[in-house]
Amino acid sequence: MAAVGARLLLRPGRRWFSETAPGAPSPPVSPLYPPVVASITAKSKVAKSRRLQRFNQRVHEAATVEEKLRLYGKLQRPKYTVYPQTFALNADRWYRSFTKTVLVPGMPPRAAAAKPLVAAAGATPEGGRAPEPAAEAPEAPESAAGAAPSLDMSELRSLACDAILQESFYQNKKRPLLYRDQDHTPGPFLTQLVSTLAAFLSGRNPLLAASSLDLNPEVNYYWHHGEEVVVHGHRKGRVDPVRFQIDDNPHLQIRVPKQLPEVVPLESDLGDVPVIDHKPSKLPLFKKQYENKVFIGSKVADPCCYGHTQFHLLPDKLKRERFIRERLEDQIEVVYRSNGIASLFAWTAAQAMYQGFWSEADVTRPFVSQAVVTDGKYFAFFCYQLNTLALTAETIKNNPRKNICWGTDSKPLYDVVEDGNVKGFNDEVLLQLVRFLLNRPKEL
Amino acid sequence: YPLFQRGGPQLRIFRPNFFMLAVRPGVPQPEDTVQFRVSMEMTKLDIRNYLERIYNVPVAAVRTRIQYGANNKRNHRNQRVKKPDYKVAYVQLGQGQTFQFPNLFPEKEQDSETRSFDDFRDKFMEKEKQKQEGDPRRGGVPDWFGL
Repeated sequence: MAAVGARLLLRPGRRWFSETAPGAPSPPVSPLYPPVVASITAKSKVAKSRRLQRFNQRVHEAATVEEKLRLYGKLQRPKYTVYPQTFALNADRWYRSFTKTVLVPGMPPRAAAAKPLVAAAGATPEGGRAPEPAAEAPEAPESAAGAAPSLDMSELRSLACDAILQESFYQNKKRPLLYRDQDHTPGPFLTQLVSTLAAFLSGRNPLLAASSLDLNPEVNYYWHHGEEVVVHGHRKGRVDPVRFQIDDNPHLQIRVPKQLPEVVPLESDLGDVPVIDHKPSKLPLFKKQYENKVFIGSKVADPCCYGHTQFHLLPDKLKRERFIRERLEDQIEVVYRSNGIASLFAWTAAQAMYQGFWSEADVTRPFVSQAVVTDGKYFAFFCYQLNTLALTAETIKNNPRKNICWGTDSKPLYDVVEDGNVKGFNDEVLLQLVRFLLNRPKEL
Repeated sequence: YPLFQRGGPQLRIFRPNFFMLAVRPGVPQPEDTVQFRVSMEMTKLDIRNYLERIYNVPVAAVRTRIQYGANNKRNHRNQRVKKPDYKVAYVQLGQGQTFQFPNLFPEKEQDSETRSFDDFRDKFMEKEKQKQEGDPRRGGVPDWFGL
């Protein structure tokens, strides 16, 4: 009894006979019980949010980017397949609402990009242009383009015409197969044009010299946007995020080791994002379950991990004559726009994921890429700036940032090819293409 | 009638024996989409031509699906009764036109006579119900219960 009493007295924590000086800080005592929080395995909203938090924690703490991508796309569920080249009506409005993109007509102000164009001209014209305000910059390159690369303009024009004539006139080709018109002439012409122009301009643009040109690459991206209630099946009644996947095969792609400079600051607001209340299946868009892939065209370890320019070729199903025959003239431009927006969003977002950003860890710098959508004769130019990846239901609530896409209407490069001559060659289109290829960060 | 050859005069005109029924969509559709129940033998091309030629409605796109009618109900002889199959067409209108299915049964404005009659009828039914129930002080216990 006495021994028990003595043991009771000697147990730590019982301070009846010890003297502690008043005011002295007591040593930090670790709590006796773990913190009281909601359950993880229960069938409740709190448990679901705790599970989501645990998953987000796991992805945040992943050591490598490959591990992050693996965890991000691990759970497979039915998702909407978004096709950039689609016949659906008014698809570009829907795609803008899925990707939170603002469409700005015309090309972005090229005050910074115009200077490299004149780098070849010499120091004096450039020194005279540098203090000019940005509003006058678009005019100055016109005159400078007339002065310095005017010889180059003729060279570039001859390069382009050579490519056109080689594919359509000089070479003896059999008749194209049924619905294979695009692979017959415009496809090889585009490849030839881009590779020769890139090789020619790589002397001017060291970024192009260090770039990597992909032929028929694959670009994939998987994301969540919005919420819906599951309608059929054993998961009926649960609230799920709406999942999307883009699987795109551009005709050509240029990847570079350094990122293109931002066009406008990260938090700029240049317009409104269309809000569509209806389900995406009304577009029509269909659900399928397969691998959730995020890919820019090369794996993560590739040094050329940023995008420069993509070139898309529209398929036979979406040619102009078909739309004109069905009296849907306004859908011609929609096709170009939807292709530009969807492909560029997928590419820039995949580039951002390769750098470790994702919907819970939003991008800290904007990702810029360019694209040219063509059907062989008509060219449309797009420039995309990715400002935010946070499109899920929770992260979009307090996110004022919007992605921005600048796009032009489609313009013909030439009118017709007759007897070894290219009639009606359009210099502006070629100039815009050259400007795109010469775009590079300010340091270079 | 002489035999018809291409380019010859069209002496006989065939009118389609199809019918298209515009229905209210069960799930909300975009503004330019109209939902029809059509005959099972109609194709997308048929629907487009039908609307464009007969009703002058510009059609941008047509999508169809076949709705299977269930075969689960049983009649008094325990035979399965099939609900008929039908084809549904979703037509997207061209030239920016929109369509909203109208409300076919709007609530009519009640004049004072019908309103006062409805009030009188409700009050009468309430009084009848109260007469049926027993004394509220007995707390729902029937009146035959007791000494």
